[in-house]
Amino acid sequence: MLMRRLSLSARLALLFAACTAVVSLFAGVLFSRASEAHFIELDQQLLDGKLIGLRRALRDVQSSEREARLADELSRQADLSLRISGSDGRRWYDSSTALPETLPHQPGLSTLSHDGTDYRVLNAPLYLDKADSPQLTLLLDITHHQHFLQRMQHLIWLTVGLSALATALLGAWAARSGLRPLRRMSAVASGVSAQSLNARLPEEDMPPELAEMAHHFNAMLARLDDAFQRLLAFSADIAHELRTPLSNLLTHTQVTLTRERPLEDYREALHSNLEELQWMAQLVNDMLYLAKADHGLLMPKREPLELAEEVDLLLEFFAPLAEDARVVLGRDGAARLQGDRSMLRRALSNLLDNALRFTPAGGEVRVRIVDQAKGLRLTVENSGEAIAADLLPRLFDRFYRADPARHEGSSEHAGLGLAITQSIIRAHGGQIRCESEKGWTRFVIELPREQ
Amino acid sequence: MKLLIVEDQPKTGHYLRQGLTEAGFMTELVADGSTGQQLALSGDYALLILDVMLPGRDGWQILQAVRGAGLDTPVLFLTARDAVEDRVHGLELGADDYLVKPFAFSELLARVRSLLRRGSVAHQETSLQLADLRLDLIRRRVERSGQRIDLTAKEFALLELLLRRQGEVLPKSLIASQVWDMNFDSDTNVIEVAIRRLRLKIDDEFPHKLIHTVRGMGYVLEERQC
Repeated sequence: MLMRRLSLSARLALLFAACTAVVSLFAGVLFSRASEAHFIELDQQLLDGKLIGLRRALRDVQSSEREARLADELSRQADLSLRISGSDGRRWYDSSTALPETLPHQPGLSTLSHDGTDYRVLNAPLYLDKADSPQLTLLLDITHHQHFLQRMQHLIWLTVGLSALATALLGAWAARSGLRPLRRMSAVASGVSAQSLNARLPEEDMPPELAEMAHHFNAMLARLDDAFQRLLAFSADIAHELRTPLSNLLTHTQVTLTRERPLEDYREALHSNLEELQWMAQLVNDMLYLAKADHGLLMPKREPLELAEEVDLLLEFFAPLAEDARVVLGRDGAARLQGDRSMLRRALSNLLDNALRFTPAGGEVRVRIVDQAKGLRLTVENSGEAIAADLLPRLFDRFYRADPARHEGSSEHAGLGLAITQSIIRAHGGQIRCESEKGWTRFVIELPREQ
Repeated sequence: MKLLIVEDQPKTGHYLRQGLTEAGFMTELVADGSTGQQLALSGDYALLILDVMLPGRDGWQILQAVRGAGLDTPVLFLTARDAVEDRVHGLELGADDYLVKPFAFSELLARVRSLLRRGSVAHQETSLQLADLRLDLIRRRVERSGQRIDLTAKEFALLELLLRRQGEVLPKSLIASQVWDMNFDSDTNVIEVAIRRLRLKIDDEFPHKLIHTVRGMGYVLEERQC
């Protein structure tokens, strides 16, 4: 739980320190074991040698000289003491008065600690061939060995501690410098605001592990920047679009009221205002529709639709307009679809209306429906002058008009129709694009079969 | 024919009452929900026009109370919010129609007339007539001054609508919805063109014009004294 809240550098430093501690502890323990084993081996050799000397001294010499020989034998090794006991366990002889009362009985080498002194003890029978031989117990004072080993252990702990600390510090430093690109990323991210969406991370300076993340980060910034620029342009456009009719309303109303006029003039003024107001109401409704689409609130119903029927109804609706413009309307193909009737009618009606406006007299507008395995494709194409390739993606931008000059009059379009169509198609899980070449302009809608 | 308007915005309420009164309806306007509910429950009204957001009790609550009391008075909602849930909510509670602000007054008037007509028994007419224009519904023939006029199916339907609702200003959206079943906001001028083509056949050759454009509001079929 704690780990989760530590900084990355602290985490790495701690892990480094733990690794060093484990490794040096392992080495230390190994070394200390080895030296202890080495000491035991040395003691064994020494005691074995002494045992032979003592046995000889006790066996070969007359009993009157024994003590002298023993003392002599023992005096050569000041840290060696001897106890001799009978086969019944009774103590016969102690070379020193400071020996412990009880000694280990097991044969061979053992270690004993008594009164602050450490002994290596070797039990062996005096006569190897007699079953009830008196026992010799050799005690070798190994206090200084043990002290050495203890010092060594302290040294090992110290080494472990210090090396862990040192690697923790070094690790923290290394981690911090290793993570510098991340901090740079965070500095850039913290500096990003609506005004500075153009900040980018230098991708080529990034280590490979972070390059991809930096790339995605930059791509995210680019998308945000793009969306934000569109939003800014949209707000500016809204203000501009509303300013023109508002200014007309203001001027017209004020001019009308400056002096007495015939009734007919007032009526005319109100009618003219009404037209501006209706245009504004339509604009606001369209913008609200787009805003709903942007917030994912456009939820199409799933009605079973015969697309051919729907298209025919729309063509019938547009027939007067087409006849007036001397344009031929037609439809090919058929398909079934689950979708929102009213929304799709609106989307297609915008396309047809758009197509009719750009088709010259004597031209043709065709709707083609192609039923494909994974979805269906619907194209609305019209004959007429082709649209420049660089303008094609902009057709779906809000307030985009092929003709930049605004026309006066009630049939004026705000330039939201294609944007609304795109929103509706997207809400159905589809895509729309525009192609234009060789005297034909074609809007292609692709709708998936299962949404 | 008395209508009840419950609307708390004084300006909106005033214009609604003025417009509906001038269109020939008796209207009563109240600005708060509680009074509105009391009046609505009296059962004296042929139609209720309710705003959704109201002080006291909101439009939904009034509608619930009215339907709870077993009254089937038609209810038309006015709402500033065009949320789908609102629409569904209103229709589930038993609203008959709704209009989203901003709406055109001609649209409201047309809807009010539709709702009021719904209750009355539609007598089976065999023909419709205005001045010297006659439309035979059975043989699907049109004559003016005894002269036969050929219309396409849609032109016939359009003229039938204008004749059935003669004297009423019909907004373009209502015409698109009734004749072509196109129920969406559209800024296309199809209706203008369709009316122009109908005029060409019905009016152009005759001195008395019957189809009139009401600028910014819609079209009306009536006999006008020049």
